[in-house]
Amino acid sequence: MVDAPVFEDFAVGQAIGPLHKGRITTAHIMRWSASVENWHRIHYDQKFATGHDGLPDVVINGSWKQHILVQLMKDTLGPSGWLWKIKFRYRKLDVAGEPITALGEVTDAVACDGLGFVTCCIRLEVADGVLSTDGSALGVVKLRGGRAVSYPFVPTAAQALLSLPAE
Amino acid sequence: MSGAAEEIASRYRGMRGDPLTAPMPVSGDAIRRFVQAIMDTDPTYFDEAVAGASKFGGIAAPPLYPVHAFRRPGGTPDPLQSVQDDPDADGTAGTDAIGFGLPPIDSPFKRLLNGGNEIEFFRCLHDGETSVARARYAEVTVKEGRSGAFLLVVIETEFSTTGGDKLLLNRQSLIWR
Repeated sequence: MVDAPVFEDFAVGQAIGPLHKGRITTAHIMRWSASVENWHRIHYDQKFATGHDGLPDVVINGSWKQHILVQLMKDTLGPSGWLWKIKFRYRKLDVAGEPITALGEVTDAVACDGLGFVTCCIRLEVADGVLSTDGSALGVVKLRGGRAVSYPFVPTAAQALLSLPAE
Repeated sequence: MSGAAEEIASRYRGMRGDPLTAPMPVSGDAIRRFVQAIMDTDPTYFDEAVAGASKFGGIAAPPLYPVHAFRRPGGTPDPLQSVQDDPDADGTAGTDAIGFGLPPIDSPFKRLLNGGNEIEFFRCLHDGETSVARARYAEVTVKEGRSGAFLLVVIETEFSTTGGDKLLLNRQSLIWR
């Protein structure tokens, strides 16, 4: 993939990612919780998480995981592209020590009103490909030799009809 | 339960909260801490020269940042006071990370599950801008599952700048059992 991909660089079935975040430790979870001032003890107090709430360990925040999927798409679409729509569902509780990887696949690519629209299925996996979170995303890129994607992104009437696939 | 749950659903369905304005504008330092926590090394988030040459024209926060912009204002009660007072307190007292100004749903359902999100992005929150949230209960429906009735709630929150520029639209599905 080139630095600033264009529509013609994407093809249905093409893999995106992987974006490896490595093993997410209690220190990583603490750093995220502090950065967003989330003081829920299940994210940093192991005694509370396991003894009080009966969890297997402190929990990796769902709010952190969604940013990893956003980053996967942002990096895939490049600096001139735009992540327009994303949806995801948490399938599993992830706890400290699990390695997180984001990846996906292009499922559709259409040109509409002078821009390219790339749909991807996306997911987070923990060890050995176990599914953590999955969903889909729709990004906008320029056509080769075409006009830039506007920022802020404002879809035309025809583009506004494009949507994420139903589950 | 079912009749009472239906009454609860109809009471909240369509309800809008008052606009909620973040207590402070986002700063470059807050963005730096944030992207370090999500482990995104994209220099657009912290390098003035790179950001200035980008489509953003300056430092901007990651697309989903506005959802996290609503921090505890100075002079408000400390949620961790509850942890000192009560060993069973979970540390979330007085905080609300999902309602964005909507009144919480008063229902007999106590167990909350996150059913997922669907988000549409328009632009990022730039360094120095302040996020505003406008939330509504887009859907409050009683459903019947294998283990009994549950409440499906969709909170639709539009985030914008104080100048009225639309940032993103977040539809969050929640399930109360």
